Formats: sequence, structure tokens, C-alpha cells
Amino acid sequence: MKKKNPLRKRILREIYGDKGKYLVIFVLMIATISFISGYLVADGSMIAAYNESFEKYHIEDGHFLTEESLEKTARSRIEKEGVTISPLPYVERRAKKDITIRIYAMRETMNRACLMKGAFPKKKGEIAIDRMFADNNHLKVGSRLRIGNRNYYITGLVALSDYSSLFENSNDSMFDAIKFGVGVVDKATFSQLSKDKLTYCYTWSWNRKPKDEKEEKEWSERLMKVVNTQAELTDYVPRFQNQAIRFTGEDLGGDRAMMIVLFYIIMVILAFVFALTTSNTIEKEAGVIGTLKASGFTNRELIGHYLVAPVLVTLISAAIGNLLGYTLLKEVCVAMYYGSYSLPTYVTIWNGEAFVLTTIVPIVMMVVINLLILGRKMRLSPLQFLRREISLKKKKKAVSLTPTLPFFTRFRMRVVLQNRFHYLVLFLGISISYLLLLFGMMLPSILEHYQEQIHTNMFCKYQYLLKMPPSLTGDDFSMDKLVKYMRFSEGVETENKQAEKFSAYTLQTDDADVMKEEILFYGIEPDSRYVKRKLSDKDVYVSSAYADKFRLKPGDTIRLKEKYEDTTYTFKVTGILDYDTGLYVFMTRSHLNEVFDLGSEMFGGYFSNEKLTDLDEKYIGSILDEDALSKICRQLKVSMGELMYLVDGFAMLIFVVMIYLLSKTIIEKNAQSISMAKILGYSGGEIARLYILPTSIMVIGSMVVALPIISIAIKEIWYTMLRQKMKGWLPVCLDGEVYAQMLALGIIAYGLVAALQLRKLKKVPMDLALKNAE
Amino acid sequence: MFLELKQIKKHFGEGNSRVDVLKGIDLNLEKGDFCVLLGPSGSGKSTLLNIVGGIDRASAGSIIIDGQQTEQMNDKQLTLYRRNHLGYVFQMYNLIPNLTVQENIEVGAYLSEKPLPLEDLLKTLGLYEHRKKLPNQLSGGQQQRCAIGRAIVKNPDILLCDEPTGALDYTTSKEILKLIETVNQKYGNTVLMVTHNDAIRLMADRVLRLRDGRIRENIRNTEKITAEELEW
Repeated sequence: MKKKNPLRKRILREIYGDKGKYLVIFVLMIATISFISGYLVADGSMIAAYNESFEKYHIEDGHFLTEESLEKTARSRIEKEGVTISPLPYVERRAKKDITIRIYAMRETMNRACLMKGAFPKKKGEIAIDRMFADNNHLKVGSRLRIGNRNYYITGLVALSDYSSLFENSNDSMFDAIKFGVGVVDKATFSQLSKDKLTYCYTWSWNRKPKDEKEEKEWSERLMKVVNTQAELTDYVPRFQNQAIRFTGEDLGGDRAMMIVLFYIIMVILAFVFALTTSNTIEKEAGVIGTLKASGFTNRELIGHYLVAPVLVTLISAAIGNLLGYTLLKEVCVAMYYGSYSLPTYVTIWNGEAFVLTTIVPIVMMVVINLLILGRKMRLSPLQFLRREISLKKKKKAVSLTPTLPFFTRFRMRVVLQNRFHYLVLFLGISISYLLLLFGMMLPSILEHYQEQIHTNMFCKYQYLLKMPPSLTGDDFSMDKLVKYMRFSEGVETENKQAEKFSAYTLQTDDADVMKEEILFYGIEPDSRYVKRKLSDKDVYVSSAYADKFRLKPGDTIRLKEKYEDTTYTFKVTGILDYDTGLYVFMTRSHLNEVFDLGSEMFGGYFSNEKLTDLDEKYIGSILDEDALSKICRQLKVSMGELMYLVDGFAMLIFVVMIYLLSKTIIEKNAQSISMAKILGYSGGEIARLYILPTSIMVIGSMVVALPIISIAIKEIWYTMLRQKMKGWLPVCLDGEVYAQMLALGIIAYGLVAALQLRKLKKVPMDLALKNAE
Repeated sequence: MFLELKQIKKHFGEGNSRVDVLKGIDLNLEKGDFCVLLGPSGSGKSTLLNIVGGIDRASAGSIIIDGQQTEQMNDKQLTLYRRNHLGYVFQMYNLIPNLTVQENIEVGAYLSEKPLPLEDLLKTLGLYEHRKKLPNQLSGGQQQRCAIGRAIVKNPDILLCDEPTGALDYTTSKEILKLIETVNQKYGNTVLMVTHNDAIRLMADRVLRLRDGRIRENIRNTEKITAEELEW
């Protein structure tokens, strides 16, 4: 039987003997692993819940709105196109504080609701509302809610499967789960409600599923033409265009890669910290190692021995971390998802990948990094260990320091030079934790700046974007269409003198490395009262947000395409208009109408500083006022608020742990010198000035140096994230206050660590220098 | 012959900075010999011990132990050679601070296929009562006993001792010398001990005196005394 190495008996004693160090490493590892494990499990479970919801709740393949109720015969004709039509009418009512609630009758076949809490409404005056909307507005089961001129009793909280993101309109750049909500009532209540202003909505589902997205688009276009012949369409939204359904799916799992990279960075730093502390232990135990090597212990046995502690700590941390991840942290992450999306109930799914990523990979990282450093150290001969000649570098001459410098300064410089590798790791640790901290702290600043920009950037108080009914599109001509067109033309004219017409057209970007984005073209009057820029007929100005997102400058050529067609357009950018809150192109109205062949008199909306009350509401696509433009801020504040606090807390934890471990290592490394200094008669204060002050200077120096570097890094990360994963543009604007807060937090955190290290310094015994080094 | 050194030379540095530490050492030791290496500081006695112990390499010459030539061994073979044949005792005890006396000795036992019986050895070392104590609970002499126990438990062919009493007082030094003597007699190991203490030559079978890298005196002691009788 193979003998067990008796050195194993010291592992637990070693851990217990240095419990302070191991405790903080445990805490940080457990926090990191549990969060990532929780995140990955929650993410996987939520993605599964979302994907399953399509079948489970019979989510539509698309829907359309009609001016009037669809006749039975019309419905049959449409269904001949291979679809099943289900009516899903709704009414919209206002609740307090500009809140809009879209109310449906209880759904039985299509887009079924998932009951999250309470019960479905059964009686008159009862309603079940969207769970996220309820949370955002502090509504609960049992609360009373005034909608329109009626009071409703909330019987339940639901997730409507076709509203996993609460987009009011599919054209909106962001949903607003604070000011827009959905709810279901029983049929009797709905029939009472529907007497007044009902929206005729019909869902369809393909009897045979299209084989790919291209086929789905072709079928959808064909279907739209048929629907157009049977009813007056006011809106037509195939599922692939329905943001309320698709957005969640596209966004879920989007942060995964970033989270995993962050996790690995933290693990690598921790592995380095471990390697450093082990390296310190080796220096401290050089005599023992020399004797063991001289007695015949092999390098493999000794490396194996010194590897056990980091691997054991990682293994235990991974076990506890995964346990917490699957229980507590999963709940936290799920709550974050539920804070952002209106997802149905989920079932926790065992995630083998999460286990590998948070257990096997960290252990492998820990082994590899420690093995590299230990392997190098253990290459030294037994004699070198016995003589304590354990520097791997050839003996170098001491760095020359001018004697004109005060002795204490030179001494401190020597401490810094001796521990330069520790300080480098310290700098990296501070940079990473500051990066996280800044990430957590910058969002309020970005949103505040964005809010200000919305206010200053607004051309006017109200922008009316008109909506031409789908039935008026297409090249076919008929008398009916002409009549409808005339009705539309009348309905979109206003008498208001404040109103100024503009043309509008939407194209889609076509860059491979940036998320596809809709660009709104404004055709403005050459002498516009609202857009303060004189444009000539050939000018093509882009908003600064568009320029920043797509890295455009005057002279560049932009290439855009029709959203569902292959037609492309190219434009040469002649200037940039300072407008940070939207991705727009500005040209003269005549230029725009000519480019898109809209006809010289065509217009798509109005700028106005007054509300336009004489427009036909059914032709108003959307009204952009300050409130509408603030949606993105409101939603981000709600959905990311919790995450930001979590990130801030986590960043501070890393910060404190890194500084604590590394400054502790430096003191331990110099314990004998500190002991000797005490014997020589140096006071506690003087020793602190020699050993604590250099670390204090390096910590504060690292913070000051790291701040501008991470500020550049975070901008790059943020912009890359926006370019690849988000529509719109949120420019980073960091107030000086954020940096001041970060410095202050850093100094407070370091103050705590320094106090602990001062205590440790006092505890270094005087006889240490006189005793056997071990 | 159990241990045979032929023309062992050792130098450090090259050119003008070259220092010749050993200038051609020849030595033959029988199994069970107690050999003392004497000499002033810098005479090369520790270097010679380290070369015999396979933790330093000679610049020239050859070492044959029990028929095995060591100078051509690679690091791995040297480790195995040390593991199988040698026990080391230094002036510094180099005990593992968080292992008990018994466990520190077990560290040595782990390296041997047939270690000495632990309980018997602990009693021989006079550490049986202290076997559960940590090194910091022991006196200097007890710690050195423990270090000797760790070296001897694997019953090595050669016990190499580098100034084992250098850090100890008179009484404790005598105790340690008595212990080494007992071990040598009981287990029959060859002992090669480096010391500054001239009196110790009286208890050795063989006395080598080094100066300037050469053996100046090589005597077989016919009238050796016991450690108990030593005085200095």
C-alpha cells in the first residue's frame, strides 16, 4: 500500500494557523463562485422558461390590428393562407400618473397568461396585472387600482406570454414597465369595457411552421397582402418584429460572456495572490524545504504538498459557492431577471456547464498558476534552500539610492523595491475592483446625464410621428385605397401654427460588427424653427450619438438598408449634429422625399411646442415628448439598480481582500526585519512608517493611477457593449463626484485594512529575529 | 570500502574570482565508521559534506557509495540516492513547526521502505514523553534530538551531521553527541560529522582535519572515548 505523506497533516493546521488570510480568500471565492454559479443557473433556467413558454402558452406567430372587427368570411379567407386566426382584442385605459394599462379578456388559447401569484379574475371588477408592472408600481395582490373611471381589485399577478418585455409599441427603442402595463379581466368585465373604444387585435399562428426566418418573412409579407384585402389594417406585427416577445430572448444570456470573463479575471488574481502567499511561505520555510530535499523528498512531493492548500480552499469554496449559488444567489439573480423582464414561472435546471465553469475551471486555474510559480521555486537546489538563497534571479546589485534622501525615505523605497511584484498584483487587484466599482457607480451618472441631454437636445416639446396604415402601402391602386388615402391625408393635417412638418423614413444599419439598428431619417425644412442647423439640399448630417456609435466622421460613407428588403442606400456624411440621445440622420425634407421617392409633399410628422389636438389619433404612430424619451432611463434604473448595488458591494469586497492579503504578505515577509527593528529600539510608530506607509503610498498611488486607466477602459467596455448588444446610445459622462466617491471609498477601505495591519505589526514578537527562522 | 572519495575538487567562480575550496580530497570509510571532519572556517569541510550528501556537486573527482558512483547522477537520481542512503542533521533544526515531534519523525519515515520502529526510536531519542508536542514547546536540545530522529528513522547508510551541536550549550551538546554515538552503535550507520569542536575527535573512529581545501591529518583513532567521557 502506498504510504501517505505525513506532510498532509499540516495542511489543515496551516489553514487554521493563518485563518485570517484563508478566511478572506474563502469569503471572496465563495462570493464570486456563488454569484457566478447563481447567475449561470438562473440564466439557464430563465432561458429555458422563456423558450418553453412559446409552446406552453401558445405564443402567437404574429398579430395585426384592424380598424373594424373582422368578418367571419374575411377571417376564413385569411386562414386559407395556412394560418389560424384568434381574436385578442384589448382596451387601453389610463391609471394614475400617466400610466397606461392595456386590458385583455382572459386568454384561453393563444398567448396564455402564466399566473405568478394569487388567482385569475373571475368576477366583475377583478383584474390580474403584469407582475413586473405591479412590482414597479408597488401594487400587490389585494391592492385596489383605479383604471379609467373604475376601481379594480387585483386578484393576481401574471406574466402574459406575449409581453415578456413590456413594449407598448414594437417601434419603441425601450420598453417602459413603469408607465405601461398589461392586465386581464374576466369576459363579462371585458365586454363592458369594450363598449368604448376597442382595439381589434388578431393573432395568427402558422399551421405549418416556416422552415427558417427568411421563409417566415416571405410568408408574413404574403399574409399581410391578403389581410389588407380583407380588412383595414392599422398595424401588422409578425413575431420576428415583435419586440415585446423577442427582446427578452435576445437579451437573456447576453451578459454571460462578460460575467464569465470577469469571474476568470478574479480567479486568476486570486490564484496569483495564493501563489504569492505560498511563495512567501516557501521563503519562510526555506530551511525546512532544504532539509526535506536533502533527505530525499522529490520536487513533485513538495510541489504537491504546497498545492494542496490552494486547491483545497478552491474546492471547498466551489462546493459552498455552488450550494449558495443554487439556493440563495440563484434567487437573487432570478429576482434581477424578474426585475427586468416579465417572465413566466421557472424550474431550476441543473446546469452542468455552470458546475464545470465554477468548480473545475477555477481549480485548474489555481493548479496551473501555482504550479508555474512553485515549479520555478522548487527547481532550486537543497543547498540554495538551506542557505536561503531563494531568489530565482541572479544576485543583482542593490539599486543605488542617493544618500541625500532621508534614511526613512530610502528604507521605504527599499521595501517597495523588495516587494515590487506584490505591489504589481496589488495594482491589478485595485484596478479590477475599481473597474467593477466604477461600473456600478457610473450608471446613475450616465442616466442623469442622459436625462439632461434629453432635455437640452429636444427640438421641441412634442414630436408627432405619423403612422400610415399598412393598407395604404404597396404599389397596387384601387378606388378603395384612394379613398382611404384621402381620409388619411385629411386626418394628418393640423391648423396649429406651432406645428412644423418633417419627413421621416427608417432604414436599418448593415454593419456586421454592430447590432442592427434602426436609423430614423428626418427631412426638415431648410429654415426650420426647431432644428437649429441650416442644411443645404445635399447635406446629410448624422446625430452625434449615431456618429459615436458607428465611429463616423464627416466625409465617411454610410450604408443602410430597408429593414425587410435588400434595397440599400449609401450617403456621404457632410456633418455631425450635436444630439446625444438618438440615432438620426438629418437632411432637408425635399432631399429626403426625393431620395426615398416619397413625393415632394410627403411628410411623416410634426415638430411642435404645443400639443396637436386636431390630428386623427389613429394616424399618430407615437408622440415623442420628454417623458417618452426618458423610458430608457426609467427602465434601466429599475432593472439594473439592484445589480449595481451588488456590483458595488462585490467590488469593495475584492478591494478590501486584495489589499488585506497583499499588505499582510508584505508584513509577514518582513517579520524578521520588523522584529529586529523592535529589538534595535524602533518605536511602533517608526516601524509603521517604515512598513505600513510604503503600502499606504502604493495603495493610494495605485488608486490614483488606476482611475484614469480604468476610466478609459470602462468607456471602451461600455461602448463595445452598447455597439454589440444594445440599441440606442448612452454616452458615458462621469462626474468628478464619482471619482471622488471612489477615492474616498478606497481610502476608507484601506484605512480598515491598515488598522488591522497595524495590529498585526504590533504582534510581531521581538524574539523572532533571535530564534530559528522556522 | 563503503564510502570512497577520489580526488574531490571544488571551486567557485572563474578567472580572477576563482576560489578553490577543495583541492583533491581522497577518503575511504568503512560501514559503521564514525568520522569527524575538523577544520577552521572556510577550510571546505561543509562543502565536502554537502558533496558527499549529493546536495552539491564536485568540480572534479568521484564519489562511490556502496559501489554506486554519484558524480554522473542527474538531479532525479541524486534525490533517490539521498532518499535511500542518507540522513541529514544540520545546526539549524529545520523542524516543521506545525507538526508534532512524532509527525516530524514520520516525515523521515515516509522516505524509507523499512523505517525503524517509531516507538523504539522515540524512546532512544528520549522524546517519547514529548512525542505529541510541537517544536516550539521543546528546548533546543530536544528539537535537535527530533531532527536526528527524522534523519535516522529511515535507517540511512550514512548520517551526515553539519555542526549538530553548534547552537547548543555544553550539557545539551553532550547529550546530542551521546545520542549520535548510540545511534551509530545501535543501527550501525556510517556517521560523517562536521564540527568546530576539537574535543569531539576523541569519540570518533576516524578524524580528518582540513585546511585550505586539503586533508592535513587523517588518523584512525584507536583509543577513542565515549561521548559521556568527553570534556571541553
